[in-house]
Amino acid sequence: MFSTFLHHQWTGFWRSRNKGATIAAQVIMGLFAVYLIGVCFLVGFILEDLIDKFMPGQDVFLVFNGMILYYFSIDFIVRLQIQELPTLAITPYLHLNIQKRKLVNFLHIRSLISVINVFPLIIFFPFCFRNIGPEYGNFACGMYLLAIFSLVMFNNYGALYFKRISAENIKVVIPAVLLLALVAGLEYLKIFSIAAFSDRVFSFIAIHPGAGFFFPVLALAIFALNDRYLKNNLYIEELTAGEERKSSTDYPFLDRYGAAGTLAALEIKLILRNKRPHATVTKGLILLFYGFLFYKQDLIVSNQFGKMLFPAVFMTGNTILIYGQFMFGWQAAEFDGMLANQVSIRDLFRAKFILLGVSACLLTALTSFYGFLSWKILAVHLAACIYNIGVSTVIVLYFATRNYKYIDISKGARFNWEGISASTMLLSLPVLLSPFIIYLPLSLIGPYWGLAGITVPGLAGLATRSFWTGFLVREFNKRKHKIAEGFRERS
Amino acid sequence: MIIEINKLKKIYAGITVVDIEQLTINNGETVGLIGNNGAGKTTLFRMLLDLIRPDAGEILSKGHNVADSDRWKKYTASYLDEGFLIDYLTPEEYFIFIGSLHQMGVTEVMDFLRTYEEFFNAEILERGKYIRDFSKGNQNKVGITAALMQQPELLVLDEPFANLDPTTQIRLKAHLKLLKSPGLTTLISSHDLNHVTDVCDRIILFEKGRVIKDFYTNENTLEELEAYFSQ
Repeated sequence: MFSTFLHHQWTGFWRSRNKGATIAAQVIMGLFAVYLIGVCFLVGFILEDLIDKFMPGQDVFLVFNGMILYYFSIDFIVRLQIQELPTLAITPYLHLNIQKRKLVNFLHIRSLISVINVFPLIIFFPFCFRNIGPEYGNFACGMYLLAIFSLVMFNNYGALYFKRISAENIKVVIPAVLLLALVAGLEYLKIFSIAAFSDRVFSFIAIHPGAGFFFPVLALAIFALNDRYLKNNLYIEELTAGEERKSSTDYPFLDRYGAAGTLAALEIKLILRNKRPHATVTKGLILLFYGFLFYKQDLIVSNQFGKMLFPAVFMTGNTILIYGQFMFGWQAAEFDGMLANQVSIRDLFRAKFILLGVSACLLTALTSFYGFLSWKILAVHLAACIYNIGVSTVIVLYFATRNYKYIDISKGARFNWEGISASTMLLSLPVLLSPFIIYLPLSLIGPYWGLAGITVPGLAGLATRSFWTGFLVREFNKRKHKIAEGFRERS
Repeated sequence: MIIEINKLKKIYAGITVVDIEQLTINNGETVGLIGNNGAGKTTLFRMLLDLIRPDAGEILSKGHNVADSDRWKKYTASYLDEGFLIDYLTPEEYFIFIGSLHQMGVTEVMDFLRTYEEFFNAEILERGKYIRDFSKGNQNKVGITAALMQQPELLVLDEPFANLDPTTQIRLKAHLKLLKSPGLTTLISSHDLNHVTDVCDRIILFEKGRVIKDFYTNENTLEELEAYFSQ
């Protein structure tokens, strides 16, 4: 039975609709995984030397013991992010003559097939064999192996269990996040250290190996919990989303923009209520930390704004770039209705301008925390923001009239390449390059002249917006049939 | 005469799916388009709504080519498939949105919806669900009602009876009959010969993109059609 399930999943993967992109993504993921496994092997075998090299004078065992729980704490958080619930795959089997037990077992075993479960074994096991064994004896070494293996199991089923109950009731996330923040805060303030705790636990096991049995008990407990939960909740609706009541909302602040405001409100709902656009926009918030990689003190002191332009334009305009690149594709599902209804295309473009403009302003406001590094960064961000609102929006929307790819907005955003085409790849080039072209010659006069230069096309674009809207509407009308046809092909 | 079609042609991959020499629809008519799958009904509707471009010929709505101006949108309401619904909205939000396109306020929309309570059978409003979570039949109800709410002069419905439960089918039929007026022209495509002959004054029979028969209904229409389709 289990092999049949796996076989079905395998064929399902090969016959999936946008096979090309999925396979490309899987191959890249696969290469990445192989690379990581290689690195882990290396790390595993030279761990002793590494510890010696990076923490000279420290007791190797102390560092190793401290690493273990630290690793698994981070591992748990990463799992919550990337581990998928292998539940939807079983819906076509629920009504068939297959015992529930078998389905549940399939879910258990299927979840183990993941690279994440292999990494810690490769990293920690060699050290146990080479160092723990000779130092503390075989029994202790065996207990270390058992403990680490149990921690892998604990994290695997623990993360899945947490994801399952949080899918049903989002409220459990709040105490979890608070707990996480508390531990991280204590760690930061050096009141409580995971490493020290981990060291104490494993040093104890090294001396009293029998205590290591605590870990498999813990793993079994979470496994049993997960198992019971699955057995009791093996119903389609309970495996997927919570049955929470959806309510109608409106955004009165957009009302004063008339029809364009209504369309903008519609798009806000699209972003909030659908998985992929939601994830895409949330991703933009993480990218706000991008600046820390670029904004070095020497650049700021010597006014080298040219090197700060890229992160500035990218951070203040990341919704314009990342969300905007798939523009109209987000509405692919209801595009026919949009065209057939009395929606003015001019209003449609105005709505996009409002939405992208507001998002750029919000992101600029959010990135103002870089002002703590230097007020100069705020000047760069302001220039970038004006440029984005005036110029990037037009470029992005122009490319939108050349995008014919349907997007299924109910799918996740991670490794999802649906909707990516040549035009979506190309559009970031002019957006990110043109500020440099303006800045470089002007910066010969003075760096602030360069910044002012960037705002000129931005302000010009804003002042001539109605011309650009008209231009976009004409471009759109030329190709609207092709766009609508492309969206009707749900590949 | 509200619709005039001249030498209309649409070809997909070498196969002619619509090929209409001349066809006119008069004001106030309720016209049923029937034909087996692939007869070209939906393609014709899509060209009428300027969703696809004809390879040749034109469709005039009140004398203006639908592909040249948006004038027809003011008086045309349509529901072809779920692609017309915005599925992440609640039905109320969707109705209000559609209403706003026709300058209808929220209260006006709600007043209108109250008259459709029977048609909805308490399954649409205040259910706390997005449109995507409704069954196909109930999605149909939302789409059809949204089209009717626009108080159009030209109403285009593609298989409105499909997926509806029997009670709703009968109610919709009665309602469409009731709506008949000199000011409303209705185009309906359907596979249900019973319903079409009951509702429509005029039947246009398509086969492989061509108009095979075009006649006004009488008491023998149903038998004639059944005879044609059982050949």
